[in-house]
Amino acid sequence: MEEITVYTARVVRTMEPSLPLATAVAVRGDQIIEVGSLESMQPWLQAHPHRIDDRFAGHVIMPGFIDPHLHPSMAALLLPMDFTTALEWKLPWQDVPSTRGHNEFLDRLKAIDLAMEDPDEPLFAWGHHPIWHGEVYRQTLNGISATRPVIVWHRGFHTLVVNDATVEWMGLDEAEGERHPQVNMAEGRFFETGLSLAFRYFNKFTLAPKRFADGLERLRQVVHHGGHTTIGDMAAGMFDLEMEWPALVKALERDDTPFRVQMIPPAMPLGGGKKEGAKLIARAVSLRERNTHRLRFYDHVKLFADGGFYAGLMQLGAPGAIEEHHGEWMTPPETFEDVARTFWNEGFRIHVHCSGDLGVELALDTLEKLQFERPRFNHRFTIEHFGVSTPEQVRRMADLGACASVNIYYVHELGDAYWKNKLGHERASQMSRLGTLARHNVPTAVHTDFTMAPALPLNSAWVAATRISEAGHVMGPEERLSLDQAMRAITVEAAYVLGLEHEIGTIRAGKKADFTILEQDPYEVGAENLREIPIWGTVFEGQPFPIKKLK
Amino acid sequence: MNKSPSASRIPVTVIGGYLGAGKTTLINRLLAGSHGRRLAVLVNDFGAIDIDAKLITAHDGDTISLSNGCVCCTIADALGDALDKVLAMRVAPDQIVIEASGVANPAKIAMYGQGWPGLRLDGIVTVADGENIRARAGDKFVATTVRQQLAAADLLVLHKVDLLATDQADKVRQWLMQQAPEAKLLAASFGALPAAVLLGQISSSERQYDCLAEHDHYGTMTFQSARPLDRKRLADQIAGWPACVLRAKGLIHLHDDPGHAHILQLVGRRYSLEKGPAWNGVAPDSQIVVIGTEPDIDTEWLRSSLLSACR
Repeated sequence: MEEITVYTARVVRTMEPSLPLATAVAVRGDQIIEVGSLESMQPWLQAHPHRIDDRFAGHVIMPGFIDPHLHPSMAALLLPMDFTTALEWKLPWQDVPSTRGHNEFLDRLKAIDLAMEDPDEPLFAWGHHPIWHGEVYRQTLNGISATRPVIVWHRGFHTLVVNDATVEWMGLDEAEGERHPQVNMAEGRFFETGLSLAFRYFNKFTLAPKRFADGLERLRQVVHHGGHTTIGDMAAGMFDLEMEWPALVKALERDDTPFRVQMIPPAMPLGGGKKEGAKLIARAVSLRERNTHRLRFYDHVKLFADGGFYAGLMQLGAPGAIEEHHGEWMTPPETFEDVARTFWNEGFRIHVHCSGDLGVELALDTLEKLQFERPRFNHRFTIEHFGVSTPEQVRRMADLGACASVNIYYVHELGDAYWKNKLGHERASQMSRLGTLARHNVPTAVHTDFTMAPALPLNSAWVAATRISEAGHVMGPEERLSLDQAMRAITVEAAYVLGLEHEIGTIRAGKKADFTILEQDPYEVGAENLREIPIWGTVFEGQPFPIKKLK
Repeated sequence: MNKSPSASRIPVTVIGGYLGAGKTTLINRLLAGSHGRRLAVLVNDFGAIDIDAKLITAHDGDTISLSNGCVCCTIADALGDALDKVLAMRVAPDQIVIEASGVANPAKIAMYGQGWPGLRLDGIVTVADGENIRARAGDKFVATTVRQQLAAADLLVLHKVDLLATDQADKVRQWLMQQAPEAKLLAASFGALPAAVLLGQISSSERQYDCLAEHDHYGTMTFQSARPLDRKRLADQIAGWPACVLRAKGLIHLHDDPGHAHILQLVGRRYSLEKGPAWNGVAPDSQIVVIGTEPDIDTEWLRSSLLSACR
């Protein structure tokens, strides 16, 4: 039988209320044998061969961090691009500095251009926002390069601006481009449906197998550097599952990948199509035949209510927005209910993308109907994102047994902007209302929806516990989580939302030996400093994976 | 005559309307009809009814179901991909019909017709279920969506009118006209609308008359003149045409460009006049076909309206 390894630590934060603190954890294979102290675990150690590994003697061992909702494929598309965001991003290969002001933005583009070796390689820069960077036009970008395609993509994804060299690279006829109502060739601007026209040409490059594979390798590093040992791909196959799956397996199903990916497919094809219940169920079940050790489909599916929060397409209830606002439905409410019922009655666990309070209302109306028709306990019906909501909806979630998986970064990045331009202070400061969820004992995880927010669980926990906006305001102090609740939201509660609480999320005998190794104790540094805690690395299924400093 | 770029673009008709309005029924009737047009139908609906595949094969159309990706997501753009597939077909279709999703704003889908290379927008047809459209327009979830769909229409179809009493139908009709004051309104049941109204046709062939003859609620007026038309007067006249005029198509001999034919397209409220092929020695001659609802369409009045636009 395999030897037992005992990791000793300054402190083991188990996140188990029954034994919150320990100093050693014994591991055999991929499993935790016992947590406690060297003394307390002697009966195990005397009975079996073992060794003591004290490399974490000065460190803090926590359960491996979990982000229950991000998008590896979207990340693979975006990570090969250069980030030029107003807010800083920590990426494994680069600390992206905050870029603010028009001139600073242009200087940054020039620096990226200069640093690129291949003179013909297109320069994709993501993160432009007019509030921070001023407007850029085709002419502006011609000033960056007359020969290299330069593409500047908006932080919120709906607009991009290109230079002359890009138009030439695309082979797009000027007059053809000009015909499009959402393309402005003079300004080099493609927006909304006009973006489709641009990506028609770009996708050959951005989704080319080699580049996509490189992007997934970057995603792999990002996930490790954040300290994750489990992530949820919360719309598996968002571009095209048959294209993505082999790429994901190749990139991630490797011995040196220190995390697993729970694959949650859309309950129905994203664009609609057939909705015959039996077929949808059969498809969802058959996906599990593909499972590998790290990539796993199971009994969870995703549904979509209203449009995206960054895209500004959420459905808002009364009193709407300051200016005219047009939300969208991603699924017709009737269809939403039909498909939810199909999966509910088959015992599936359903996650619902809800951005605005009217989206939440649709999900809860549906859940209430389903509970009336066919009551279920332990169903884990989870509201995902939870941008705008009402306190009454939270109470209703508690009544109906729903869970929450919240994008807390909205408060940090959009809090000020939505206060001033969209919702006003009362509702903007109560976006992602974690405090109310905690007061009603609704199981609550936080997620990043990466690339919507940096894939850094400690950063998410920091926003959850402080609600500090990018401008430095505390947004809705009553909606903060306590430090402990915030740490639970990236470990045990995230495991619960993913239905994996029997395997991961805390450190106790019998669970997977998944740990995140920290240089400081979150409970000692306090909420304000959570995001500054250095991460040594992780242990995944018993194997240590130090984070290599790439620079 | 040589083909001009605008003449060679494939027209796109967008059929919008909320879930259950009867869009698919209407498209099925269209595919079964003897209009002689080769149609490519793109379906982006969540509805349960599938287009009958046999029906399509028999009529030489093609359907591509937008079953992967989402029109809201511009990167994984299923609609763009599907349009490219249609454009790559060995025998190009005469027309593309896009059935918009029940929650889509058809104006957004129409952007593809307006801007995708090789295509042009024919028009937006929004279908409204006469029985429940007003309830939908007050629904807590979809009121805005439904109102946007109606407001986007060039042609508004009051559907399932057979289920309504006359006074009910009148009330819904009036209400619909308030929702889309500029759109042209027509009533139908079981998807029975002439292809000439839904799709339009540039030639005034016999086939079109046959097709129209099946439907006694529609009438046509043809206009022919060797006298050149004045661009501005024509636009002014057309702007004054009554609500019963649903469509007009024609080749125009324009006073300010005697060397080229110009192509007139009118779909409900959407009017365009684009430069077409050179006359190339053929004697310039305007030919216009106007389709409207009977008994309101006044062919003599329309003829005199067009005559007054001549120089």
